[in-house]
Amino acid sequence: MAMGDIAFNLLIFFVILARAQDDSHVNWQPAKTKILESAGHSKVSIVIDSKNAVHLNGKPIGLAQLSPAVEEILGTAPAGERGVLLKVHKDSTALHFEPVIEAISEAGGDLVHILEKESP
Amino acid sequence: MKTRRASKLLIEPPTSATGDIAFNLIVFFLVCASVQPDTGRKQTIPRSEKQDQQAKAENIEVLLTRGAVAINGNPVSIVKFPTQIKTMIDAKARQQDKVVVVKSKPDATYQHWITVTSIIEEAGGTITIQREEERAVVLPD
Repeated sequence: MAMGDIAFNLLIFFVILARAQDDSHVNWQPAKTKILESAGHSKVSIVIDSKNAVHLNGKPIGLAQLSPAVEEILGTAPAGERGVLLKVHKDSTALHFEPVIEAISEAGGDLVHILEKESP
Repeated sequence: MKTRRASKLLIEPPTSATGDIAFNLIVFFLVCASVQPDTGRKQTIPRSEKQDQQAKAENIEVLLTRGAVAINGNPVSIVKFPTQIKTMIDAKARQQDKVVVVKSKPDATYQHWITVTSIIEEAGGTITIQREEERAVVLPD
């Protein structure tokens, strides 16, 4: 009986551990749009928080290091598996998000904006 | 005479594992709730250096400020923007000519940028961004 419980808890533990790019502690609010699609799974997640700080997979990073770091994580992944989730705070300005988009493009990532469904 | 009583004992199910089961259920639903899939919008942005200057000049140019939008330098209301940009994109015959250069003022918000670029993509345009420092600066002689 207890063996089943232990196995289940271990399974849960490894599921949580597999989510290495957890950025749930970063404070940001998504922008809204009408048409949305599933973002799918990605190895890279970039967040620009409400204070315009950039986080790569939950860790703060400077703009200069962003493109090489993304390139390193993506490695030689084939097209279609090079998705980069971009989570930008809705009130962030072009001064902050445009260089990040450019860095993703330079690293050869497939950009996916994480957004929220606009209520009708 | 001694009559034999029928044995109708109440047997309670073992409850020692109830706590474990409850705990596992809580953990399971917590994990389920936190692993919700993200939703968003894929965007392909071609690298700006691939385009030559002549092609750039022929492309439609959209300028974003904090709350306004302009097409080829002419301010357009956000209500009329979808119709106007669609007309202009549809007028281009080849797919490679349907590139829309999006220039943003530093104070343009992400929400505004997403709204405008969504409209452009829905109209069939391909977005390329041109940043402030990339723009040509003409100095006086």
